[in-house]
Amino acid sequence: MNSNNNRLGWTFASPYLIYSLVFFLGPLLWSFYLAFTNWDMIAPTYEFVVFDNFAKAFRSEGVQSAFWVTYKFMLVFVPLVVAMSLVVSVLIHGLPRFKSLFLIGFFLPYLSSGVVSALIVKGFLSYNSPLNEGLRAIGIGIDWLGGPWSALFVVGLIMAWKFTGYYALILTSGLENIDREIYEAAAIDGVSSTARFWRITLPLLYPALYTTLILAFGVTFSIFTEVYQLTGGGPNFATNTWQMEIFSQAFKNLQAGYASAIALLASLATFASIFLIRKLLELWGKRNGWV
Amino acid sequence: MRRKWTALWALPLSLVMLSACSTGNPSAQTDTQAPSADGKVTVEFWAAPNPTQQAFWQEMAEAYKKENPNVTINVSAIKESPTSEASIQAAIAGKDVPTMSENINRGFAAQLANSKALVALDTLEGFDDAVKSRSMTNTIESWKFSDGHQYVLPIYSNAMLFGWRIDTLKELGYNEPPKTYSEVLELTKKLKEKYPDKYLWAKADLVDPTAWKRWFDFFMLYDAASGGNKFVEGDKFTGDDKAGVETLTFVDQLRQSKGLLAQNVTDPFETGVGVFTDLGPWMFTTWAEKFPEMKYGDNYTLSMPPVPDGMDPADSKTFADTKGLVIYAQAPAEAQKAALAFAKWVYSDPQNDAKWFEKTMLPPARDDLSDNEAFKKILEANPQLQPYAANVPNAVPSMDNAKFNEIQTLIGQEAFNKVVRGEIDPQTAWDNMKKAIEGELQ
Repeated sequence: MNSNNNRLGWTFASPYLIYSLVFFLGPLLWSFYLAFTNWDMIAPTYEFVVFDNFAKAFRSEGVQSAFWVTYKFMLVFVPLVVAMSLVVSVLIHGLPRFKSLFLIGFFLPYLSSGVVSALIVKGFLSYNSPLNEGLRAIGIGIDWLGGPWSALFVVGLIMAWKFTGYYALILTSGLENIDREIYEAAAIDGVSSTARFWRITLPLLYPALYTTLILAFGVTFSIFTEVYQLTGGGPNFATNTWQMEIFSQAFKNLQAGYASAIALLASLATFASIFLIRKLLELWGKRNGWV
Repeated sequence: MRRKWTALWALPLSLVMLSACSTGNPSAQTDTQAPSADGKVTVEFWAAPNPTQQAFWQEMAEAYKKENPNVTINVSAIKESPTSEASIQAAIAGKDVPTMSENINRGFAAQLANSKALVALDTLEGFDDAVKSRSMTNTIESWKFSDGHQYVLPIYSNAMLFGWRIDTLKELGYNEPPKTYSEVLELTKKLKEKYPDKYLWAKADLVDPTAWKRWFDFFMLYDAASGGNKFVEGDKFTGDDKAGVETLTFVDQLRQSKGLLAQNVTDPFETGVGVFTDLGPWMFTTWAEKFPEMKYGDNYTLSMPPVPDGMDPADSKTFADTKGLVIYAQAPAEAQKAALAFAKWVYSDPQNDAKWFEKTMLPPARDDLSDNEAFKKILEANPQLQPYAANVPNAVPSMDNAKFNEIQTLIGQEAFNKVVRGEIDPQTAWDNMKKAIEGELQ
């Protein structure tokens, strides 16, 4: 019986496992190999350059900026998206009816094209847009995509808008699992609504919040479309993400070997960062007695 | 029981294996290009991803098929995922290349040629005849690569010009655009006095280090200041230091005069936020639809780039925005031959170039553009195209170095963008850029 169950489990999992082997593990191994070559994916021959690509990457301003920009994006994007999705989920949770309808509404931006939303934002923030003309009329002139922090903020905001509905789904399901009787008991004891949020909602929402936070931190390592469309990684590398740098080296400079080395460094940075963040989040939960 | 499990496993595995072995294209292009037993040849042609050019090539392909029933030219648009260059690179890596494609600039061709992905066209039989029959012997000379071969058959050549809002200039007391740096700075001063909210040049690209953007700001000005100096020859930086610093100083002075607006602006020239812009003839078809009020001579005019003081404006040079056809080395030899024969057939009749010119407004890369009767009607009906045709001999094509992307990115990162932002003085910017490019070329 157990053996049969095992087989059944493996069989159902097999399409995804095989897909992962062919389309993830295969390319990963290939990319590992490429990172030690100077191949451009076009030339019939190439040479092994050992660690040259890695040495070049460590010296590169583009790679260094990609490393730091990711953490800057975290500072902007993670608090923004978690706060927004938390607000949305609390509001939706409190609705008497049509919860699913509102959740779908907030989820729609996640399905929208990053190219289209970036282009709309670009038009909205252009120098001669009604917004900026209005701001200039009251003496405020902002070069939204030209300042290093404002450009980061704009991209972070678009990403937050896109992911809020998705994370709100997770948080709402977390809220739905909290027993209403706990709130009723707290209300009878005269606990204020603010205290109820901090003392009841947040601790019991911790598992959903933990998942949301890990996903949000992970997103910052894969930002591409919005940056590509809005800032091209500028100004002065201020929004140059790992994905932008890999794309530029592989498809603009035709240096697939070097780009693979950067991709491996990016995956190492991602793995190490997510590992550390997970540990910190678990420590946070344990310290507060939530887990 | 064991058989049942094996069958269950075999199904998804074989599906995945089949999909992994597929080229991603049901037609498996390189196979279709191979000549069939009955002597029929198929040429896969990737056209630029815009409807006008695609329609032109489709029309040519159909006409050619009527005269050559054994040759089929399959025209499709180059995918832009996310750029046409990336799609071509992916196609080569996946061994799924077309026989030929258009829309290839000299820099990208240099990258491809360096990786032996292109056929040297001059090694194919009939290439010289194709050049002669199209009357492009002089034009193609500047396209020769540093290894002495021709990898690209240029289709069009835009001598990039600057557009000026002549309506605003007239309000400032000018009947024609300024031609030297000091005249431009003087105009900027007058403009800011009368219209503090207007700028000479409003363009976000001025601070964007993306390599190709330097063609339409730095190189236009630098080519004019240096008399068309080759920035890089072979693997050597051969830039003109004096002209380079003069160019950057001019940009710096424009910034100091508050003449530059390096922000994202929607249609700055058309809306009059900026009175000066780099302008290619492709804009005229866009304007006809989107800004029909833009009339040559009424509200805008064209000029060659301004030159440093003391230099004769008549000697001004500019950047040649020019793209052409290439044939891929991976394609079967028969298909390569058929592709060149098709190109030769298209360009042997000036009427085909005239059709191209009329549809795309992109000047064909020919020596006789201003003299040939076939183009006279088009130039008379579109006077805004005349300066482009007249300045073809004054236009300098982009460098043919395989590292053009890195080099041009460095021009922006180390010099041009920083000067526009006022972060560095022009001399230091030039020195830093030169050092970085020399390092890259080593």
